[in-house]
Amino acid sequence: MKVTELTKQYDGKTVLNGVSFEIPKGKVISLIGPNGAGKSTVMGIISRLVARDAGLVDFAGKDISKWKSQELSKRLAILTQSNQIQMKLTVRELVAFGRFPYSGGRITPEDQQKIDEAIAYMELEAFEDRFIDELSGGQRQRAMIAMVIAQDTEFILLDEPTNNLDIYHASNMMKIVRRLCDELGKTVILVLHEINYAAFYSDYICAFADGKIVKFGTVKEVMTRQTLSEIYKVDFEILEVAGKPLSIYY
Amino acid sequence: MKTAAYRANVRKLILLAALAALAAAAYLLVEVDPRYAAFVMRLRIPKLIVMLIAAFAIGGASIVFQSVINNTIVTPCLLGMNSLYTLIHTAVVFAAGSGSVLAVNGNISFAVDLVIMGVTATLIYSYLFRKTNHNVLYVLLIGTVLTSFFTSIQSTLTRVMDPNEYDTLLSTLVASFSNVNAEIILFAIVLLAVLVFLLRRDLALLNVLTLGKAQAINLGVDYDKSIRRLLLGVTLAIAVATAVVGPISFMGLIVANLARQLLKTYRHSQLMLGSIFFGMIVLVGGQLIVEHVYSYAIPINVFITVGGGIYFLYLLLTKRKV
Repeated sequence: MKVTELTKQYDGKTVLNGVSFEIPKGKVISLIGPNGAGKSTVMGIISRLVARDAGLVDFAGKDISKWKSQELSKRLAILTQSNQIQMKLTVRELVAFGRFPYSGGRITPEDQQKIDEAIAYMELEAFEDRFIDELSGGQRQRAMIAMVIAQDTEFILLDEPTNNLDIYHASNMMKIVRRLCDELGKTVILVLHEINYAAFYSDYICAFADGKIVKFGTVKEVMTRQTLSEIYKVDFEILEVAGKPLSIYY
Repeated sequence: MKTAAYRANVRKLILLAALAALAAAAYLLVEVDPRYAAFVMRLRIPKLIVMLIAAFAIGGASIVFQSVINNTIVTPCLLGMNSLYTLIHTAVVFAAGSGSVLAVNGNISFAVDLVIMGVTATLIYSYLFRKTNHNVLYVLLIGTVLTSFFTSIQSTLTRVMDPNEYDTLLSTLVASFSNVNAEIILFAIVLLAVLVFLLRRDLALLNVLTLGKAQAINLGVDYDKSIRRLLLGVTLAIAVATAVVGPISFMGLIVANLARQLLKTYRHSQLMLGSIFFGMIVLVGGQLIVEHVYSYAIPINVFITVGGGIYFLYLLLTKRKV
């Protein structure tokens, strides 16, 4: 996936200004930056939820707007932070929706197997007949991930997956992201607010400020004092913990 | 996946259908003097059909509408869709005059109303949802204001009309349960059938649409297009119901939520059927009681509004979040 010269304005205010980058396959890529830097807008555009003003999003040789939505949904899965589901839906029924791009409403035996696998992978067997609105935040998040796994796509886009989760659930969430990449070979792109989660669990970081990319590179390349200070306008210290850069800010 | 819950719901639906059929049979057969059976049937059958049409339109449209705007305490009528229809109807006759073909011929007048209703309601409500960002409390608030707004314009129009004209209009134009509009039965049935047929794909997508915009797009659904089509379908169905029996505010809220509470499922095929059957039971059963127990002293709208109002408050208070 390759993004060229993305531009987006809201009410005359430029939120994205000529953003270009290429997403390496089979890696975890985190988009970071202060509020209003444009990271969520980029995420929205590459997941076809937000319209762009100019620029290209090339996906497997074709611009994303040229893809049939259904075909795209077999290759690219999106999980946003707003997931209030008003319906009476069990975990298993939710996960089954992941198969919708393949077989519409009718579940085939192959779908059934993928659903079983996804539920087992997220260790949700004990909850599979519980209603979503009866689950805790962490369990619900896992159920959503299981649905994305059942969707069986090469790319997974997560918009602030650790938002509203406590430290325990947030770090578990990040470990799951890592496993999606390492064990299932998926390319995971996520928007994160917490820089140290990005530093510990991703391969690449794309840092935004003022609608532009300040730096896109490996974790070590981006997690430097100068770069982070430039992005967040705050003083940083970088420590090394378990071979990974850890940032301290105050 | 035909789970146990699915099969249990099928049984519940069969029971509801049986109850609806029972109510319909009772409505036709209670206190019939065999000597005048043919005459009684000529009175009762059109009324029964009209009630079944209204139950179908309101029951189905309410579930669809709730799923489209992703909230279970809002119904098209609460947002003033039926007042809008009454207003359009009055305005057309006001502009054309009670002697014109637009007012005299029920079917033509209905068709004109439908076109205007489809256009204005789609514009108003899709703008309303976009502007409020689907925030349900704003939607409800503005909907309530719109309801009184439409009603006030409508009553202003009737006030400035020539009194004689108004008098003749009232009996033919504003339908109610004691004065059902049987002239357009055939038109209404055909229209509803065509609607269901044209929207069958979008209706099948309802389960996915209720996951929310982002998830629906993620799963490859053209969200905006389906929502627009379904919303248009809802407005037309409400127009049909209002045209045949007049406005009944809380009806949709009652039947849609009873169906949701009873069936506890996300499957819209079941929810819609449940809501429709509940609608038939409430309307036909209610009218039966009104005619034979209260001998027309209290119109059924009063029961539905009082009962529905209490039920609405109950839903608001017991729901953890709106």
